[in-house]
Amino acid sequence: MKSISLYVDKDTCLTRLHPFAKMFYILAAVSAPLIGGALWIYGLFLAISLCLLISGKIIRKVFPLIAFSFTIIITIFLIHGLFNQENQKVLFHLGPLAFYEEGLLYAARIGLNILNMLLAFATFVLTTKPADLVDDLEQAGFSPRFGYMISSVFQIIPQMMGTMNTIMDAQRSRGMETEGSLFVRAKAFIPLISPVVSSSLINTRERAIALEVRGFDSKNKKTFLREHKLAGKDKTFMLLMALLIAGSIVWRVLTWL
Amino acid sequence: MALIEVTNLKYRYPHTENLALDGIDFKVEKGQFIGIAGENKAGKSTLCQAFAGLVPTMFRGAYGGKLLIDGAEAAKTPIAELCQKVGLVFQNPFNQLSGAKDTVFEEIAFGLQNLGIPREEIFKRVEENLKLLDIEEYRDRNPFDLSGGQTQRVAIASILAMEPQVIVLDEPTSQLDPQGSEEVFRVVEKLAKTGITIIMVEQKMEKLASYCDKILLLHKGKQIAYDTPERIFSRDDLEELGVKPPVYTQVCRALEVSRIEGEDRLYPVTLAQMERLRDQFPPTLTGRTFVNGEQEIDGQEVFQIQDLKFHYLPDIPVIEHLDLCLDARPTAIIGQNGAGKTTLVKLLKGLLKPNAGNIFFEDEDISQKTVAQLAGKVGYVFQNPDDQIFKNRVMEEVMVGPLNLGKSREEAQKLAADALEMVGLTDAAEENPYDLDLSERKMVAIASVVAMDTKVLILDEPTIAQDANGRVVLGRIVQTLSKKGKFVLAILHDMDFVAEYFERVIIMAHGKVLSDGLGEKVFYEKESLLKARLEQPHTTRLCERLGYEGAFLTAEDMKV
Repeated sequence: MKSISLYVDKDTCLTRLHPFAKMFYILAAVSAPLIGGALWIYGLFLAISLCLLISGKIIRKVFPLIAFSFTIIITIFLIHGLFNQENQKVLFHLGPLAFYEEGLLYAARIGLNILNMLLAFATFVLTTKPADLVDDLEQAGFSPRFGYMISSVFQIIPQMMGTMNTIMDAQRSRGMETEGSLFVRAKAFIPLISPVVSSSLINTRERAIALEVRGFDSKNKKTFLREHKLAGKDKTFMLLMALLIAGSIVWRVLTWL
Repeated sequence: MALIEVTNLKYRYPHTENLALDGIDFKVEKGQFIGIAGENKAGKSTLCQAFAGLVPTMFRGAYGGKLLIDGAEAAKTPIAELCQKVGLVFQNPFNQLSGAKDTVFEEIAFGLQNLGIPREEIFKRVEENLKLLDIEEYRDRNPFDLSGGQTQRVAIASILAMEPQVIVLDEPTSQLDPQGSEEVFRVVEKLAKTGITIIMVEQKMEKLASYCDKILLLHKGKQIAYDTPERIFSRDDLEELGVKPPVYTQVCRALEVSRIEGEDRLYPVTLAQMERLRDQFPPTLTGRTFVNGEQEIDGQEVFQIQDLKFHYLPDIPVIEHLDLCLDARPTAIIGQNGAGKTTLVKLLKGLLKPNAGNIFFEDEDISQKTVAQLAGKVGYVFQNPDDQIFKNRVMEEVMVGPLNLGKSREEAQKLAADALEMVGLTDAAEENPYDLDLSERKMVAIASVVAMDTKVLILDEPTIAQDANGRVVLGRIVQTLSKKGKFVLAILHDMDFVAEYFERVIIMAHGKVLSDGLGEKVFYEKESLLKARLEQPHTTRLCERLGYEGAFLTAEDMKV
């Protein structure tokens, strides 16, 4: 079964870092530049994210993400550089187009924000197994129902895709043409929808029963297969991030005065 | 007080008129092994669900009478509490998976985690059950990637690990190869010896007879009898009740081998009991005539497979260098779970494309054609009928194939009606397939392929969930189609069924053909059978044990 999670199975420091520590990093990376207000703080966190990604040996996985985000960022630069309301000072001309400083600065802020968030989330998503995260959340006090909901999504979507392939096999076995041009394939897709949906609905009911007989509603306190407490280095890492947030507050206050 | 006390239990599903359970009344002592037998719709699965409290808590409906388990009333106890006393293994193992765990190990641990069992204990129990059911090598695999037989083992392990006092199993071995199901029975028997009470629904009567202390015989929701296997299977009305006694009993009846106990005439139900009455058997039997060497193939080549190779993952070959010629004789492919049987027939159907080698169908290379183009010639019935049912009405469902092949509505209707008649579901034509039970849905799936009137019919484990009557219907389909000159190819785990209806038998193991030939020959190649984790048909084993010379495959072969 194909997994829909983006987790890359590598044994690195970053993978071993507690999911909460990584989530705290996202918080720091997103909030500190906003609080601090200066563009160089974005630069700082972009650099940290890149270092983390390189140490986690997953930098290659991020390139396509960055490439994709650039298409958005360039559009933002074009729109704001050319048409922002506040535009007053022309910075440079490109043929008949005039780019303004105010707009470009604004666009730079948004662009950096997008890139920063993307990389911060990437460090988390690419190095955290969904099942581990759910487990840690439940250990931290979230209800098992909530946990089940999250983890079942990671199981059920690929399973539905599997069902779809099987039903497609069944349909072409019975003489419906599903191979060939785009039009043929599109036409073959429509009759798939209702069996896939109805079989999923039936599965849901069966699954509810399956959970019941496995004691899912039991009043007993659930046991976890592995104890995963925040270790010393997780705490150090989080402390460092807290310092960065505090630093950005100090910076903000100083520049304000 | 008995551990389980059922008193006048009655139940009716919502929106139905007939009682699914009608006056069930019996007691089970701790550590007993109880079998439940009866034809389809006798109420076997419903009774299993009543033990787990699913009837009536989950399904609602009208419920009367009492079901006490260790003093707790099943209908009034929350399922989460009841499940610590009673474990239920479902009929369809795919439905038992939690759907939230990535590995077999975690899947088995899931129930234990919910019950709050200490961690060390969980690890210990999961390890034990992985070993017990021989699934250690799959511990890190995703449960959804396993084959039917493997999933069934995981489902059983996941319930056994919860160590309930009572284990209820609803046809737990339907998808397993013969030795696999024997292992499950042994495991379950061992549990019964340790004081765990077992209640099991099963179609394999030989197994019920040799393992159960008592059998509950049901018919249309009513309790017919609750007695020892010997007494149950010696009844004269079994045929009317849709139950076929073990092969041993059938043979003894035909040869009039029996013993008298009180006023009753009892027939042996196991091999061991038969041996005790050895002196009553005739000294010699004729049996089938052995055919030495390969029988002449009558020139009707259907499939020609040349140097076939296939894999799902590059480093794990499923089929390697396979050369095989299939002619029009009805042919059965047998072999253990995961031997590559389903993969092979999917290749024949064109659903999978070979990595190397060729498959010729009537001298044409099938790799040049789409599956739909082949559909009019090669019919394939999936293992799981739910994978191939799309419509809300049985009639519509069966008509899909013929309509896709370009038949007119009238023609399609005619073909569909004929096919439904063949599988015995003419009366169900207007019903919704999802309202039918598993055995009937399987028949709908078969009818929907038969209606396409293809040259080849491939059946993937058609006997799953079928009772004695269903097996006869299936056998008749095989015979009728063969007579019409069609080629029937089936994957089967039921050796008696193979012996009775199939001429040619192919044993597969690890993607290779171990043995190939007439049933009389293949079923006497013990080494190949053992390697492929198979068993001889019951009659064959029986005649060997009794020391008869000759070839015996079915009870009819035992002629004086």
